[in-house]
Amino acid sequence: MVHISDGVLDPWLWESGWAITVVILAYTLSKMKTEDVPKLSVITAAVFVASLIHIQVGPTSVHFILNGFAGVMLGILAFPCIFVALVLQCFLFGHGGITTIGVNAVNMGVPALIAYLIFKTGTKLDIRPETKNKVSLFGAIAGGVGVVLALLLLAAELLTTGEEFYETTVLVVSTHIPIIVIEAIFTGVLAGFIATVKPEMFGKK
Amino acid sequence: MKTIRSVVVLALLLILCMALMPPASAHRVIVQGQVSEIQIKAYYGGGAATPMADGDVEIYAIKDGQEELYLTGKTDDAGMFYFAPKIGVSEYRVAVEATGHKGEETVNLAEGAGITEAEQAEAEKEAGLPVTGIITGFGYLAGLAGIAMIITARKMKKQYENK
Repeated sequence: MVHISDGVLDPWLWESGWAITVVILAYTLSKMKTEDVPKLSVITAAVFVASLIHIQVGPTSVHFILNGFAGVMLGILAFPCIFVALVLQCFLFGHGGITTIGVNAVNMGVPALIAYLIFKTGTKLDIRPETKNKVSLFGAIAGGVGVVLALLLLAAELLTTGEEFYETTVLVVSTHIPIIVIEAIFTGVLAGFIATVKPEMFGKK
Repeated sequence: MKTIRSVVVLALLLILCMALMPPASAHRVIVQGQVSEIQIKAYYGGGAATPMADGDVEIYAIKDGQEELYLTGKTDDAGMFYFAPKIGVSEYRVAVEATGHKGEETVNLAEGAGITEAEQAEAEKEAGLPVTGIITGFGYLAGLAGIAMIITARKMKKQYENK
């Protein structure tokens, strides 16, 4: 649902999507360290495959996005993660379009960064087995908010194609409720689990 | 006398016949036969083949390479849309769009617009789970990770040397 295809948006919109994507990519990649790379590629693999898991909700088919999850796990590197996953999804699965990779990366990547901000502010990155509950709670909130924000961005962009903002928002958010709930629980449980067994995985960012 | 009368009757009959002739004989009637309906089915790929319900359909008639918007409509709950082709136009470009998702297909009546079993099997395979795509993707990711490692390691080495 959240991958916009070629030929739907006006050129200025997907062009500015690319511009924003290139700027954020350049910044986040410059902050990348060697020890981040294995974690980054594993999470990217998960995000890449997640979009193949479909759930049929009412008249439409929705799939997992895992952008909030990527934000919690990777911090600012969630953006390159989403970008690479989108490029692979586009060329290998035919999801979305080539021209819209930029705008799709903004749609899912920026909410991922906001999800990280929520997680960071909520837990103050004080991640120890003792703070497990708090980590789970904010992980869950970040996981859910990531998806909701991605849907709002999508609805805002479709506004330019003449769709009603309110109508589209209600449609995409209501059909994505299962996705929002499942991703929130998934992210929360996993964040709590990692806080217990390997808290250093969140690192100091 | 009798023969003259019968000739007159015959002549009158002939005139009557000519007067009552249907106009068809004066104009050539052309009847063309063609398939009256094209069926469009739109569904999402990824194994489940969920129909694209309530999608915006745009049909473009292609004549001499020129595209012209022929008609628009919406798919039903089963992702189906039906339209009658324009006489004399055999090629149509069909675009279906719903909430940012768009798919296109060209239908050509002249080349036989029916879908053969082989084509259907191929479409179903395409719509199914792209196993090769997943494996390829993992391969690319491993490669990218390797490249990223080299670049970041070089950067760190430089920083270390500068100190």
